[in-house]
Amino acid sequence: MAAEQKTILVADDDKDLVMALSIRLKAAGYDVISAHDGEEAYELASKNKPDLIILDVRMPAGGGFSSIDRMKHSLTTRNIPVIFLTAFDDEEMREEGRNLGAAGFFRKPFDDSEFMAAIEGVLSTPGAAGHGGM
Amino acid sequence: MKVYRIAYLGNDGEAAMGLETALKGDGLQFVRAGGDYQGMQRAGEFNADIILWDRDNQPPEAALPIDQIRQSGLTRQPVIVVVRNDDVEGAVKSLAGGATDFIYKPIREDPLPRVIAALNASSKQRRIDWCNRVIEDTNDQVKGILATLADPAYVVSPEYQILWMNRAAEEIFGEGQRGGACHHIFYDRMEPCEVCAKNKGAARWRATLKNGKSYRFISAVVRNSKGEVEKLAVGTDITPDQEVSKIHKTFIANVSHDLRTPLAAIDQYVNILMEGLGGELNDDQKNYIDVIRRSSFRLHNLIENLIDANKVLSGDFKLKMEVLDIQDILDVVLGRLRSQAEDKGLTMQVQVADGLPPVYGDKSRIAQVVANLAGNSIKFTEQGMLQIRAGFMPRDEGRIILSVEDTGIGVPKEDLGKIFDLFYRVEKDKVYVEEGAGLGLAISREIIRAHGGTLWAESMEGMGSAFHFSIPAYMGEQVTR
Repeated sequence: MAAEQKTILVADDDKDLVMALSIRLKAAGYDVISAHDGEEAYELASKNKPDLIILDVRMPAGGGFSSIDRMKHSLTTRNIPVIFLTAFDDEEMREEGRNLGAAGFFRKPFDDSEFMAAIEGVLSTPGAAGHGGM
Repeated sequence: MKVYRIAYLGNDGEAAMGLETALKGDGLQFVRAGGDYQGMQRAGEFNADIILWDRDNQPPEAALPIDQIRQSGLTRQPVIVVVRNDDVEGAVKSLAGGATDFIYKPIREDPLPRVIAALNASSKQRRIDWCNRVIEDTNDQVKGILATLADPAYVVSPEYQILWMNRAAEEIFGEGQRGGACHHIFYDRMEPCEVCAKNKGAARWRATLKNGKSYRFISAVVRNSKGEVEKLAVGTDITPDQEVSKIHKTFIANVSHDLRTPLAAIDQYVNILMEGLGGELNDDQKNYIDVIRRSSFRLHNLIENLIDANKVLSGDFKLKMEVLDIQDILDVVLGRLRSQAEDKGLTMQVQVADGLPPVYGDKSRIAQVVANLAGNSIKFTEQGMLQIRAGFMPRDEGRIILSVEDTGIGVPKEDLGKIFDLFYRVEKDKVYVEEGAGLGLAISREIIRAHGGTLWAESMEGMGSAFHFSIPAYMGEQVTR
């Protein structure tokens, strides 16, 4: 049986960046779905159960923090690893992201190879999402 | 010249005449009044400096009416009693009752030395009284000024008892708190606050009070008129400053977020194109896109430097302190800079003294300073060399000194004092010599200062420059974090 294609949800209100990421991720062999606000991110995560979520912090309709909070409190989404990708550079924000169970935190603009390596790392570690608060 | 006023209170015309004759002269004024209460009041109106009080024909057991004299307004003046030369008991009684001296009548002896002695004795007491009054008055004045302050002020005893509060303090903590313990009334603490426990006298601290506002307090030791030590504390409302700094921080965070966001998109699409994910590119197209990449990189650097400058120069940065080897720091920085120097055909020499002690500092911040200094040297040197040296100075319990020297264009003498200013840029014939925002040296100086060090420069125009910084060496003592 062929290895199943992994699905990544990219949630960011910068549509240009979402498109760039989806070009890159698709080129690397991933399936990509996208959301543009916090509400949509949560809905798509619940509906599609992606293998990984890349989440912006500042978005309309509930930012990344409230999205991840809801995801980590829902049985369907609690084990999906989340990597934050934000243009904020704030140690407290990183800390908050970690506390909310994020598997990674990247600051825009970001280094492509480091970013792709982190995605691969999270996806190849079973239970990497183990911040589910179990 | 001070004129001394002598008041005779009594009804013995002969004695009065004798005294007036003996006590006449430059600097003396004499007045007569009756020995009753009215006479005493007259002497007070006359501003008498000394009272000659005649016992007249009172019986020997009669006491000196000192209370009456003092009440009449003659509150401090020395009193000399005039007694009949056979009334020894009356003289003794008067002395016991508060008289300074006595004079026998009829007047045979010169009374002047007695009067002078009494005035001297009283002036000493008066000086003490005066000093106390000045202290009291000053305290009252200070309290008067403090009472009108919009910010809280209070006085506490060494036992932390509230002795006085101004109106603003009463508005925050309530009236009638005199006598309560300050730590209890102000901060709901059972024990004295740390700052008071540590500092008996002058201290500075910040506190958020019961009205929800933040204050910066300064305290000082004051003495009351009894010579007792008290502590005066005055607060300044810094809530507005804190609000401004919060707004400033949020503003900077949002602006930097919004500057980085499009940069991320530019970066991504440049990479997508360069990697051929958008189709094959010819060499020209690749070159053009490389220009976009480099420009975006420069823009990114500039933005990060501005954000960092804002952080460092507003003091809003924390050092991550650890014990560091200078060699490690140089290894981090110079790898990158060496290739830059070599690209320009410059030689780069690095010398680290043997057995150099480590420093206690923030690795990335010190590396940032070294990178800034060495980067400047490369930027402003067209040929020759660049030398980086690290050594030890035994001064001030040991310091590490790091120098970056070059054979570049140097800094004009008149500009040497300005190069550490914000936005200073090297200018030649009114044209900026190199790109740059003029932030690097200002940031570097702040970073070195935050490490308890100094950064300075020497230069000869056209010959080269030398930048040095010194920071305390880590001599292995226990460092508390």
